[in-house]
Amino acid sequence: MVKLPVDGPLNGIKVLDLTHVWAGPLAVRFLADLGAEVVKIEAPYGRGSQVFPSQPIGGWLGGEAGDEPWNVNAVFNKLNRNRRSVCLDLKQKQGRELLLQLVACADVIIENFSARAMPAMGLGFEVLKQANPQIIYVSMPGFGASGPYHGRVAFGPIVEPMTGLTKMLGYEADRPMNSAMALMDPIAATHAASAVVRALRKQQQDGAAAYVELSLHETGVAYNGPWLIDTQLGKRPVCQGNAHPQMAPHGVYPCQGEDNWLAMACQTQDQWQQLCTLVGGLDGNWTLSQRLQARQSIDEALAGWTAPQDKNAATLLLQTHGIAAGPVNNAAEMLADEQVKARDFFQTLERFNTPMPGNPIHMPGLNPQQWRRCPDLGADNHGVLTQWLGYADDQVSTLQKQGILHDKPPT
Amino acid sequence: MDKVLEIGGFAAGYCGKLFAASGADVVRMDRGERLPAWASEKAMDLFLHAHKRMVASSDLDLLAALAAKADILICEGNTADELDQLGFDDWVTPVKVALTPFGRTGPKANWRASANVLLAMGGYTHLIGEPDRAPLSLPGHYLEFQTGALAYTAANSARWANQSTQIDLGQLETLMSLSQFTTVRWHCVGELRSRHGSDFWFVVPSQLFACADGWVYLNIVPAFWDPLTVFLDQPELLIDPRFENNDLRMLNRDALHALIATELAHQSTDELLRKAESCRIPLGVVLSFEQVLADPHLEARQFWQALPADNSEPVYTPAYPFLQGKVADPEVNRGVFW
Repeated sequence: MVKLPVDGPLNGIKVLDLTHVWAGPLAVRFLADLGAEVVKIEAPYGRGSQVFPSQPIGGWLGGEAGDEPWNVNAVFNKLNRNRRSVCLDLKQKQGRELLLQLVACADVIIENFSARAMPAMGLGFEVLKQANPQIIYVSMPGFGASGPYHGRVAFGPIVEPMTGLTKMLGYEADRPMNSAMALMDPIAATHAASAVVRALRKQQQDGAAAYVELSLHETGVAYNGPWLIDTQLGKRPVCQGNAHPQMAPHGVYPCQGEDNWLAMACQTQDQWQQLCTLVGGLDGNWTLSQRLQARQSIDEALAGWTAPQDKNAATLLLQTHGIAAGPVNNAAEMLADEQVKARDFFQTLERFNTPMPGNPIHMPGLNPQQWRRCPDLGADNHGVLTQWLGYADDQVSTLQKQGILHDKPPT
Repeated sequence: MDKVLEIGGFAAGYCGKLFAASGADVVRMDRGERLPAWASEKAMDLFLHAHKRMVASSDLDLLAALAAKADILICEGNTADELDQLGFDDWVTPVKVALTPFGRTGPKANWRASANVLLAMGGYTHLIGEPDRAPLSLPGHYLEFQTGALAYTAANSARWANQSTQIDLGQLETLMSLSQFTTVRWHCVGELRSRHGSDFWFVVPSQLFACADGWVYLNIVPAFWDPLTVFLDQPELLIDPRFENNDLRMLNRDALHALIATELAHQSTDELLRKAESCRIPLGVVLSFEQVLADPHLEARQFWQALPADNSEPVYTPAYPFLQGKVADPEVNRGVFW
């Protein structure tokens, strides 16, 4: 069956996706959700081996590894919807030649290997450009392709402290904290998607090939730009726990039950005055500067007010008074949120009905009902090679027998 | 060159910044609202608005007139109703992007939200902090900048396809779309992910460790276990049954952390970095902003872009070379144009 991309503004764009782990696949997911035709080029062991030593971090779809554990890794499935899969051994010369033939048919190729991986395989930009003089090549090495750190191993959690964020996160200024959420990956992901569309638009004007290098490190540092500028202006941004330098109250407050909390902030004087009608012992005439000085006592009064309350009931009461407030949600509560349900944000794409985060971009013509689950490893070897390259059935079979193409991890 | 009209807070500002870095002609309509920021007003303006032109006005007729001339309109409101009241649906700009906390539809479309509220509702706050203390909200403008980046992608996609369209982007959904594995783990494993300080928890060791002159973060996914034993100069760990695989390392996390903490405590960050590079293990040093500004790697890559700052030395801001655009000269308050 011919699988077409989902409807969207990027219909007509062909993307070769060589990405792995998180940042790269997430970037490509945005492009695929916007209608790009994405072919994921996967290594034979790209989803692990036939036998998994332990459960993957997000578990298995349906809760069981089953006969094909490499195809039911929940996180992998979450990141790789709306794509076709070609499993190609790039360690072999014939595999690399095949990739270059696919490059000749593509508009974009994107990878997040280490800086030296593609050149080491003989697949640097100049080679890709020979195969396709208009190719857009997006490379996402952790520390970039040049500079003293370019050879370092980079994962989101170790890049985060190098951006300055770790010194701003925590309970006390002298005890840094890592988010433990690898936040640098989604930052690089959104910017890689931005870089691709920017390059496509530039190509509309100049028709030229483009090499776009996007470093996880640099996009992470960029997010701290305001603090970095303040530092140059002689200010010293410091960690303040849950407090905010320009809002009081601003915090996370305990509620009824175990580990239940709500977040709240007064962004305006009006909100503060409204809050004072609900919580005793606070003075609605306090200015922002007075509130910032009295932050601790305000927080204590608020914690006393929230502690006996249900977090959702207290949130609703605050919201009816126009005050920014919301429950601290765990995963189950996120899925049950009436707002995201009303907007059909989570989508189920496979037989186990696993809710997968959707696309926050809503625009006419995008329809999650068209979305396809993540393909099985190598599921589209035949389809892509026959449709993109005009290969005959027996040529594809031969490549499979030669171990150039795979549809499961080698034993 | 696109003409981009930007109205609103930090998400719209960041989106406009990306357009400006791409060479677009960006006009920011400043309606006089000053939103609480994590940095000074000057720093926010320099970071977000340096290469834009500004119109200081809240005149809705002028807004509609500018919208009629723009190719792309980025409009951020505190609620869905606020955008309606501005006249968003009536503006005739080919590509219009609405940025709101919860999106333009749904029962919470008119709820009020600050970033810490959305981070809480979006599942982030629950995961940050120590297990026996209050959860921590993420400082900074991650939420707004991520929303702005997605708005840039969406608007450019529409422009690439030569579509006239209206885009609805909610910040809560932005956060949830970027979540790591929180909801799938709950659904597939039946386990609620929770917070464990700096410990990534599922991969051991992934933790902050104090050393002689600061802190380092190690993130040792299983493929890097063997080189870690070399890094620690403790090859015997390779055959230690407590640490044979990640599952066992999770079970014996405290013992392993203690062992590493002892080993690293007397070494400097420079020494540890050198060893990490030679052993090829993932290690990052906790840097202050002063240290980030002086980072030789960023300097070698010409990461910083100078901005003029009021009769003083230039200040440096991160450049965005991946957008491949010529950055326009800064022009501020130059009046009306187009």
